[in-house]
Formats: sequence, structure tokens, C-alpha cells
Amino acid sequence: MSLVIALVGAGCGSGSSTGTAPSASAVGKVGSIADQVPAAVKAKGTLTVAADATYAPNEFIGPDGHTVVGMDADLAKAIGQVLGLKINVVNATFDTIIPGLASGKYDLGISSFTDTVERQQTVDFVTYFLAGTSFYVKAGGPGIASLAGLCGHKVAVEKGTTQAADAQAQAPKCTSAGSPVTIEIFNDQNEVNLALSSGRADVAMADSPVAAYQVKQSNGTFKLSGKEYGTAPYGIAIPKNNGMAKPILAAVDHLMADGTYMKILDKWGIQGGAISNPKINGATS
Amino acid sequence: MTTQQTTQAAGSAAPPEEIKAVPVRHPGRWLSAAVVLVLVAMFVHTLLTNPRFEWDVIGSYFFSSRVLDGLAITILLTVVAMAIGIVLGVILAVMRLSANPLLSGTSWVYIWFFRGTPILVQLLFWFNLAFLYPRISLGVPFGPSFLHADANSLITPLAAAILGLGLNEGAYMAEIVRAGILSVDHGQVDAAQALGMSRSLTLRRIILPQAMRVIIPPTGNETISMLKTSSLASVITVTELLYAVQLIYAVNFKTIPLLITASIWYLIITSILTTGQYYVERHYARGAARELPPTPWQRIRRILFTVHAPLPASPTQHKDQ
Repeated sequence: MSLVIALVGAGCGSGSSTGTAPSASAVGKVGSIADQVPAAVKAKGTLTVAADATYAPNEFIGPDGHTVVGMDADLAKAIGQVLGLKINVVNATFDTIIPGLASGKYDLGISSFTDTVERQQTVDFVTYFLAGTSFYVKAGGPGIASLAGLCGHKVAVEKGTTQAADAQAQAPKCTSAGSPVTIEIFNDQNEVNLALSSGRADVAMADSPVAAYQVKQSNGTFKLSGKEYGTAPYGIAIPKNNGMAKPILAAVDHLMADGTYMKILDKWGIQGGAISNPKINGATS
Repeated sequence: MTTQQTTQAAGSAAPPEEIKAVPVRHPGRWLSAAVVLVLVAMFVHTLLTNPRFEWDVIGSYFFSSRVLDGLAITILLTVVAMAIGIVLGVILAVMRLSANPLLSGTSWVYIWFFRGTPILVQLLFWFNLAFLYPRISLGVPFGPSFLHADANSLITPLAAAILGLGLNEGAYMAEIVRAGILSVDHGQVDAAQALGMSRSLTLRRIILPQAMRVIIPPTGNETISMLKTSSLASVITVTELLYAVQLIYAVNFKTIPLLITASIWYLIITSILTTGQYYVERHYARGAARELPPTPWQRIRRILFTVHAPLPASPTQHKDQ
């Protein structure tokens, strides 16, 4: 997997980036892809996209206090332009996004969801990013650089994340090594950070773009520890069998080919997770 | 209608003959009962046939250890927090009614503070106490201290949840207990004093037992409310029932079936608590009601008995039951 990232980095990274948002005119409607959109969606004209805006820089509430901004929001808008559909990105808690997709309240969920085989039973995913995991600690805290390094420490993670799953998988190994790990699973990333700053936890784990952003925002209170590991594919969550998975995949493919995708990642400083081969339900684990 | 006709017939007939009383017909009752039964049948039918409920998922998680562990924590939090709340509530209510302005003032400020801030904030506050006081020590006020402890190891997430929920509940219970104490007629205190009882004995023997009748129903309400309020402890990583299912569906995306699983458990516990409240209320009704309200079992027996009884020959017989 890291090989793929390296290749992509070499291939597309050269695309010039001025750090500004891709303008609306940058991507035009692509007729051949827009034609794949089911008639019912076309008639509606708008895609309602749900994101849990507590995960900067992927999705968070902008300075105006209500607009969802971030890499996922930008990508959603670009997909909308390719499909010739309006995009309405709304803030929703994680708990309401998946039922909202099933009930038709939302058309897409773009919220740093990790594509897993288990989740594929409920929704379809179009993969669009590969996130690693980073450890971060309080400045002057313990140097924890691997999952094995968690043993004997208190680790804070957000619920439903790959990090929560990884930490829980590590727990029995730590216990049998005689140095158990305490896992604290919080509702959102803000609570994870609060636990780290109040000393409730020694180390926090998050997707690397998010961890990097939190450390940057903390003004020296937090620092990254060790190197990032692993790769979890982010997927755009789509209700099962409603005909949207294929056009979305084609749109993502198109955005990767015309360079818009890399521009968006550059804008948010997360080019490292770029992929070049989006898939429907690409996860194998 | 029928009764009217019967009385008219009885009044105008010249030779007094035996009255043929016909029980009042209730066509409206039968109709509404039929409508309700059809609606219930439709509801049960969709419950069973709508595949979106995913009853198989609910079934597979209903007794899973993660859900049951969460349930145990929820019950523990409810019981301990309510126990703290009730004890604290009685103390605060008595303080509030005290003639000593310092005591009543302290109680007023406590209630003002804990009712005036969101319970969610209080929980986060206790949990992150180490942010303000990294070390907690025990010793002479303003003097040397003997025992030191790291705030984070002293206040575990569960302890923070119990503190937050219990102290907050104390403020609400104080007002409920105070209302109960005020509801007892002042003549009772006068009589107790005339008998030479001390203030504390009067409180324990005379006032509180009578106040209980007023205190129990809202306390039952608070307990049921606490059962669900305890789910707020999820923000401080206490894996109670709701958070336990949230953690499961955060991974497998089976949100609605798992929320139904938790709701069924909450309903079961609420039913048990409601039954318990009924019997406690019945116990404290002894002094006030001439006849104790029937237990559910007695009520069922009475209904069965009434149905099988022969139709009353005269309307007056009706009143005996």
C-alpha cells in the first residue's frame, strides 16, 4: 500500500498548487458520467451530503459557525459539479448518518468513514483516500511510537475509528505481556484532546491528517510521537443498491484524472493519503 | 338512554312489578375497543414482518456480554447515584428549613448551583478535575497535608460519573423532600412538641413518615429519569448501556437495531422500577388511606371475579362491590 502512495505522490504531486480552493469553474459537468445518475436523483437535482463536522481538517465547521468545510466537503462539491448536481453538505452526528442514508434523509455520507467489510453489509463505499494512524502525546509526555508501545499506558481514541479497533486488538497482547493498556473511547475528537491535556490519557491516536492538524492547533501543547502506521481506506458511504455508487466512482475517477483531487488534498495539506485507484467496496478486511 | 327508559317505565306503571334492570349498553366502548385492537394488531404485524427492524441483529446482541455489561453499569450508576441523591436531598432539605441562616443559606447555594448548571458540564468537570487540581491532598485546612493522590487515579471515570450524577440529583431531591416536609400539617409538630418530643425525634418519627407519601411519587420519577440520564456518562467514557450499543454500531453501522436493543432493556428496567414504586407507595399509604389500593394481582382477581358474578338484580347491589 505504501508503494501505491509513493507512486501517486511522484505522479501527481508535481501538479502546481497555490493553496487556494479549487474554483467552481474548475470542474465542469461531464455528460457521460452525469447520464449514469438514476432518474429520480436527477429530478431532485440536489445531493444532500452528511458529515460529522468534528474531524478537522477532513470535516469541520468553518469560521462562519455553520458551514461544513474541509477536504470531504470540497470533494463532495467537486463530485456534484461532475454529476451536474447541487451539493448540500449538512452537519450530522455520526449516530444519525447511517440511519439517515437508509431512510433517504441523506444521499451520501462523506465523513472520513473507513471502508470495512463489516460496514459494507449496510452501505456501499467508494474509496477515495488512505489514512494512516498517528500517535500524539502531551509535550514532554512518553515517547510512544507503536501499538506495542501502548502497553502500560492510557490511550484515548474516538469511538468507531480504526484506532479504537487497533487499540482493542492490542489490549490482550499487553495484558499477556503483564503490562495492560487502558483504553478510553470518547464520543468525539474534542473529548480525546481534553483527556490528553488533563492527563486522563498519556497518548491519543487519530488518523494522521487529523492528528497533524490537532498538534498544529494546540500551540505546542501536543506533539506527534513516532511515525504513522497502517492504512485505512476512507469511503464515501452510499445507500445500498440505489444506483449512485457507479456514477460516484466515475466522478471520483474523473477528479483524480483532471487534477482537482490533488488540488483539494494539497489545499488541506494531506497529499500523503492520495490514492489513484478508487473502488466500490474496496476494503478486504 | 336505557336507564332513562327504565326509570320512566317504573314511574308510570300502576301495578308495582319487579324491576327488570338491563345493564347499560356501551356500543361506543365496544367500537373504540375494536379500533384499538385493529391498530394494535397492525402495529404488531409490522413489527414482525418489516425486515428493516432486523430482529435477528437485535436478538444476537440482546444478551451479548457487551450489552449486559453496559446494563450492569447503568443499573449500578442509577442505584448509587439515587442513593447519594436521596441521602443528600434529605440533609439539604432539613438544612434549608433550618432556623440557622448559615445552614439554610449553604443549602440554598448548593441547590442553586447544581440545578443551575447542565449535568453534562458537571460530568465533564468532575472527569477533568485534574485539569484544575492535578493533585488532591488531605490535611489540616491551610496547614500541612498528609495524604496526596493524583486526581486522575483518585477519580476514575466511574467515580466521576457517580459524583456528577449523585451530587446533581441531591439538589433535585432536596426540593422534593422539602415539598414533602412542608406538606405535613403543622399541627402534627405542635402535637409532637406537646408530647415532649425533641426536634430531631419529631422529624424522624412524625414528619418524615408522613412526608414520604408526597415524596415517593416524584422520587420514583427521578429514579426512572436517572436510569436514562446515566447515559450522559458516555461523554466521560463510562460504558453504560447506551454507550455500549453506540460503540458496537459505530463499528458495524447497525444503528437502529442496536438502539432498539438498548430501548427494550430500558423499558424492562423501567417496568421493574414502576412496580417497585407501586409497592413502596402502597406501604406508605397505610396511614392515610382507609383501604390500601389493590396490588396488581388482587386487581386481576377482582376483574375475573366481577365478570363471572351473576348480573345484579337491583341497581343498588352494584355499590357493594
